[in-house]
Amino acid sequence: MTTVHKLSKLMACALAIPLTINTVKAQTTTVDSTLINRITALEQQVADQKSGESHFMVAGLTTFGYVRNKTTFIAPGMAGQSVKTNSFGDADHYELSPMLMWNHGNKFLVEFEPSFDGNTIGVNWANISYFAAPGLIIHAGYFVVPFGIYNKRLAAGWIDKLAGDPNGFDLPGADFGVGLSGGLPLGDMKWSYDVSLTNGLQLLPDGELQNAGIVDNNKGKMVSGRFSLLPLSNSCLEVGVSGLYSSAGDVGSSFTNANVTMYGADINFVQTFKPFLINVKGQYNRINVTRQTYFTQTDSTAYSFNNKTSSSFAQISVRPIGVDNKLLKNFEVAYRYSNYTTPQSSIWGQNLYEHDFGLDYWITWRTVLKFTYAHSHALSTANEAAGGVPGITNVNSMYLQFSIEF
Amino acid sequence: MKKIKIHSRALMIAVILSGMASILITSCMETAKISAKSGAQLWAENCQRCHNTPSPASFSHEQWQTIGLHMQTRAQLTDKERDKIVAFLSQ
Ligand code: HEC
Repeated sequence: MTTVHKLSKLMACALAIPLTINTVKAQTTTVDSTLINRITALEQQVADQKSGESHFMVAGLTTFGYVRNKTTFIAPGMAGQSVKTNSFGDADHYELSPMLMWNHGNKFLVEFEPSFDGNTIGVNWANISYFAAPGLIIHAGYFVVPFGIYNKRLAAGWIDKLAGDPNGFDLPGADFGVGLSGGLPLGDMKWSYDVSLTNGLQLLPDGELQNAGIVDNNKGKMVSGRFSLLPLSNSCLEVGVSGLYSSAGDVGSSFTNANVTMYGADINFVQTFKPFLINVKGQYNRINVTRQTYFTQTDSTAYSFNNKTSSSFAQISVRPIGVDNKLLKNFEVAYRYSNYTTPQSSIWGQNLYEHDFGLDYWITWRTVLKFTYAHSHALSTANEAAGGVPGITNVNSMYLQFSIEF
Repeated sequence: MKKIKIHSRALMIAVILSGMASILITSCMETAKISAKSGAQLWAENCQRCHNTPSPASFSHEQWQTIGLHMQTRAQLTDKERDKIVAFLSQ
């Protein structure tokens, strides 16, 4: 009985072993074939994926913060009067601007940047560039007019080291037209050009200027350009000169023959002197409008003035980028002096200067927290008889600002 | 009469500017020292001229291609600089 029992047990075992082996084998084959099928499918997918000629992406920036102002106005022979204000979404310093870019075959680039400034949705630029040949880019549409370095290169909140913009650099702004630009080697040096033909500027009744916009105010157009030289082989220094000419009077107005010439110079120097990264930037602008007769708003009395405006800024910033301390290396200190002189005896004549002191903390290369203290002093040189207000205006501002490029 | 004068002045500026541009374009050559620069070196030298040097990890290969074109319009990089920098950033 026991032998039979033992024998049957042995037989059962003998049968069970190949059976188990076969089952395991069968399972492995199922797993293998599922995996293999999946891999084959993925391989097919990868093979099907073409690099493509077109690429679309969204980038952009946002800046927000808090500002506290104390404005003191001192009328001639009077005691100063102060007004204090504070605000979060201050229109001058708040912005959310997504930028849409479309690249086709590395030949065409379309860029469109709408911008919400807290009050309105405007457009910073909307244009197309064609990369025609080495050193030749042709662009058309609505773009920042080439003149100096501030507007086109430094104004973005995550680039600017100080919270506010220097005064008097709004012109020539963005305009509708066509342009050519390019950068080319010159031995160990480099040079660049950026020229445009656009609708141009419009002279307002008080002698100020603004962009004419999409419908030109006259038949004449505006020619503007900037040429720059990078004389050192490591590109750390760039010097630029700019020139502009535009007819500015509304057709049929008393300003029909008015025209504007602008010229400017700029400098940009960025170099590491271990452990510090030193950044020096500056620009000088001059605007001349041909002599015109203006009329007061109240009784249309004629008056005239030499319509010349100048603005300049010089900025230095220092960042201890080479130190070992992770916290310290992300700090940057900045200082900017700016000056803005508008025409004496116009109703908006003044001589303004401003000092800006900043302490920035770079959270990433494109994310910054800024603290800026600014003091400006403006002495009016306005034409009282024509409605200008004499006196001195001092403004002290404190900003806490956050900006990110995404 | 005046209007014609204004136009001819604008035209003159345009002619002078494009004349200067074409003379310079045709005389442009880079030295061996410049040709030998790597994409990494050009990235380190050029991108900090306006903002902090961007990290290569921030964008994908295709995004860097588009950004390369975009920055060429802002920084007036030469075509060789752009190609080398984009190749380095896409690695
Ligand atoms: C001449 C100044 C300048 C230089 C040099 C420069 N940039 Fe920029 N960069 C800008 C400005 C200005 C912006 C903000 C967007 C704008 O104005 O179009 C920007 C934006 C960017 C952005 C955000 C996405 C985008 O395309 O707007 C990236 C990424 C970038 N730059 C990378 C680079 C790299 C990489 C280099 C080096 C090859 C470089 N930049 C050199 C001026 C410059």
